[in-house]
Amino acid sequence: MTDSSTTGSGPAGSPNKTYNVSQDLCGGLFLIAVAAFFYWKAFPLPLGSLRAMGPGMLPVTIAVLLAVGGIILVLLGLRDGTARQETWHLRGPFFVLGGVIVFALLIRTAGLAIAGPASMIFASMGSDEFYWKESIIFSICMTIGCIFLFKTALQLPIPIFTFF
Amino acid sequence: MDLVTNLAHGFGVALSLQNLGLCFVGCMVGTLIGVLPGVGPVATIAMLLPITFGLPPVGALIMLAGIYYGAQYGGSTTAILVNIPGEATSVVTTLDGHQMAKQGRAGIALGVAAIGSFFAGCVATVFIAALAQPLTKLAQLFGPAEYFSLMVMGLVFSTVLARGSIFKAILMVLLGLLLATVGTDLETGQERMTLGIQSLSDGIDFAPLAMGIFGFSEIVKNLENPEARDVVRNKIGRLLPGWEDIKQSIMPVLRGTFIGGLLGILPGSGAVLGPFASYAIEKKVAKDPSRFGKGAIEGVAGPESANNAGAQTSFIPLLTLGIPPNAVMALMVGAMTIHGIIPGPQVMTKNPDLFWGMIASMWIGNLMLVIINLPMVGMWVKLLKVPYRMMFPAIGIFCCIGIYSINNASEDVLFTAFFGFVGYVLLKFGFEPAPMLLGFVLGKLMEEKLRQALILSRGSFTTFIERPVSLGLLILAVVILLLALLPSFSKQREEVFTE
Amino acid sequence: MNRMLTAVAALLSLSIAPALAQNYPTKSVTMIVPFAAGGPTDIIARIVNEHMSRVIGQQIIVENVAGAGGTTGIARAAAATPDGYTIMMGHMGTHGAAPALYPNLKYNPATDFAPIGLAAGTPILIVARKTLPAKDLKEFIAWAKAEGEKANHAYAGVGSVSHITGVLLNSVLGTKPTMIPYTGTGPALNDMISGQVDYMTDQIVNVVAQVRGGNIKAYAIALPERSPALPDVPTTKELGLDYQVSAWNAIFAPKGTPPAVVAKLADALDKALDDQKTKDRLLELGGVIPDKAGRTPEALQKLVESELARWTPVLKAAMAAGKK
Repeated sequence: MTDSSTTGSGPAGSPNKTYNVSQDLCGGLFLIAVAAFFYWKAFPLPLGSLRAMGPGMLPVTIAVLLAVGGIILVLLGLRDGTARQETWHLRGPFFVLGGVIVFALLIRTAGLAIAGPASMIFASMGSDEFYWKESIIFSICMTIGCIFLFKTALQLPIPIFTFF
Repeated sequence: MDLVTNLAHGFGVALSLQNLGLCFVGCMVGTLIGVLPGVGPVATIAMLLPITFGLPPVGALIMLAGIYYGAQYGGSTTAILVNIPGEATSVVTTLDGHQMAKQGRAGIALGVAAIGSFFAGCVATVFIAALAQPLTKLAQLFGPAEYFSLMVMGLVFSTVLARGSIFKAILMVLLGLLLATVGTDLETGQERMTLGIQSLSDGIDFAPLAMGIFGFSEIVKNLENPEARDVVRNKIGRLLPGWEDIKQSIMPVLRGTFIGGLLGILPGSGAVLGPFASYAIEKKVAKDPSRFGKGAIEGVAGPESANNAGAQTSFIPLLTLGIPPNAVMALMVGAMTIHGIIPGPQVMTKNPDLFWGMIASMWIGNLMLVIINLPMVGMWVKLLKVPYRMMFPAIGIFCCIGIYSINNASEDVLFTAFFGFVGYVLLKFGFEPAPMLLGFVLGKLMEEKLRQALILSRGSFTTFIERPVSLGLLILAVVILLLALLPSFSKQREEVFTE
Repeated sequence: MNRMLTAVAALLSLSIAPALAQNYPTKSVTMIVPFAAGGPTDIIARIVNEHMSRVIGQQIIVENVAGAGGTTGIARAAAATPDGYTIMMGHMGTHGAAPALYPNLKYNPATDFAPIGLAAGTPILIVARKTLPAKDLKEFIAWAKAEGEKANHAYAGVGSVSHITGVLLNSVLGTKPTMIPYTGTGPALNDMISGQVDYMTDQIVNVVAQVRGGNIKAYAIALPERSPALPDVPTTKELGLDYQVSAWNAIFAPKGTPPAVVAKLADALDKALDDQKTKDRLLELGGVIPDKAGRTPEALQKLVESELARWTPVLKAAMAAGKK
């Protein structure tokens, strides 16, 4: 389809370690899985006709196109010499995204005064250079700053502390 | 001449001490919320509405308008510094703007963005003053069929956005379109692929998606490669653009202003297309397109001008027709209504103070924004010196609060985490997020317009080629696609960063 | 130890609960508006809130929780602690039409709320593109019947006021036009001004400027009396069409809110609707302010029940026809 020499040099572009498997092969499989999931979910929806398209028409069509594209990508990846799959590191995603989840769980139940420091400290642990003391002090200062900024200055209806 | 008297009248209104003050407050607040990721103008204007009760209507609207275009200004700062697009219109700025920041040219990028925006704002203001009424007719030419063709053209831009493989970019557009179909079906009200999650019933929100896919996956990526992020810290070049940079940006700014201003008039996602279109044009006309995506100054200057020009001209349908083209303008309608002015075709004749005062205030506001922003460039750039171990939790907390404040829903924050993971996965597989976001943004409108057009034509696809405007847009799309597939994309793999 | 603490806490909360209702409100009150800011319901909420806040001596803060025709926000408000610090602005859709449109609705409009009072109604207009040949309502009805499927009827999405009232109009007229869905009134109006779609029904505040400006024409207003906002538009009653409908907006609290609190809020609403400035603002929108008897919690409860009875059969029939 396109010149394959450009495939694979992703924007990440870091000299990371790689697995001995083609990146396009993995990416293609991933897209096929996503397409299959959407197809499965959209399948029961009525397709309708061209004159009155049903809710299922577009999702099913796009999912099929995506799956076909994924298959082509897998085939491209099967050739020799394509870029190798980078290795995965789960520590970063776990702590950074975990911090976001902590915030989501605490914001309505406990309020920003607790959700703020908790989520920031949790996220900080994802870094190689993590110091308890610095993180605690910094997160508390930031939270106070945020309360002032969002609540006092911008007047957004954010719960600050729900236990009273 | 009428225009001159009218504008003079407008400046008379806008230059009163109170209105100047309100304009300044609006621009300051706008810049602030624009810089804060997630907190958009919609949430802020909604919260400030009650405060404006006590103000005279003209002053209130001048302030609210200031928040809106101020936010567009501020949004580019976040896009350039930390790679987080606050709104769909600043997605493009992340592409080259953040690369420039990584090369120690953050100050130059910010400066060019500010100057380009100022120029675009000035031109667009004159544009509105002189041509608002005839331009309204342009929007009237656009029925569902024309919109659909416009969106098709927009999707073709994605092939130009791609830094790497065009094929993978097209796949990402498809993924974006697929994500856009989640939510309640427009016509039957049936829930589609919402997995029974209630907050998905209106579809996936742009902010959690963009912030997850761009912002959080960027953080995760940076934690993996400490070298990459230290580049940002250690190299800080000149603070403001030099003559060379300005010279390089003049033409992109002019082109961006024109295309962005024109697209901004169209209701719906017209303004969103502006920056994408501008970027596509700049990459096409550039002598060496391979520089794009690696910190090309034209890739910041053009789209930023288009963005701001579009922000200004999107007031046209509101002021002349009373039809809001986007969520912020819908709020402006609400603000006017609360103040007893029902926006519509008569605003221009019945409330000349408001109409011309607001237009004049936009020019003043743009001037204020440059004065506020240029000195702050130095401060922003210094912010990059904060150690990353402190920077990333701070960015994270701002994003979380911002996302929460959009709908006051903690579910949105959870979605952000989910999309952050998706973004990480996509990065690992070498997919680029920008084309996906374009597909997502255009997808909803595209489906809506496609279905409306087909219902109106009673199922006949010929409607898209029978209508001249629609046909013209489709031909343009094909031409762009051919141009994108033909020329030398093979030369692209050169050295990434040169010290 | 733990159990004792719980017991003490329970006792404490029991003993202070009535006291709390007496002192209500001691902090700001959140009003959930289940639509995006800037829309008619939001505007009415903000106008009424301003004076209500003054009466109760605490700020009433609007929280916009949009989604699923307003049912997302109402579902959340219904589940809130019934202490009077979370109230909501419901409307014809969320408390009248929703059960027929959303089979999985998480609340029952008639039993899950403590009604506070009706705030304001916005009358419905029948509007059409200005190039439509019919000169008045009578000709329009004849036109709609003759065109049948060929007529293009625009509406602003499932569950919107324009959808609900439009379906009702078609069922009153006995016509089956082609329905064109839009995502909001704005885009629908845009296509009506350019003549792509034929007609729609919507709240006066959304269309009044376009009617006055001559971009579209109005055939009738669905009120017993003409509206001061558009005195030239005849009423459906004058013209003998059995189509009386107004998009009402009303304040509710979650079920279980102490009666003293409800009474206090109802009194604040009553005073707000008597306030001249508030009145003027609502009237400018073409709003209809309920009379004294129509503002009470009891009247609102009756209204909800009658609206449920009115909409459910019409909408269920229309939805069934749409799905096939």
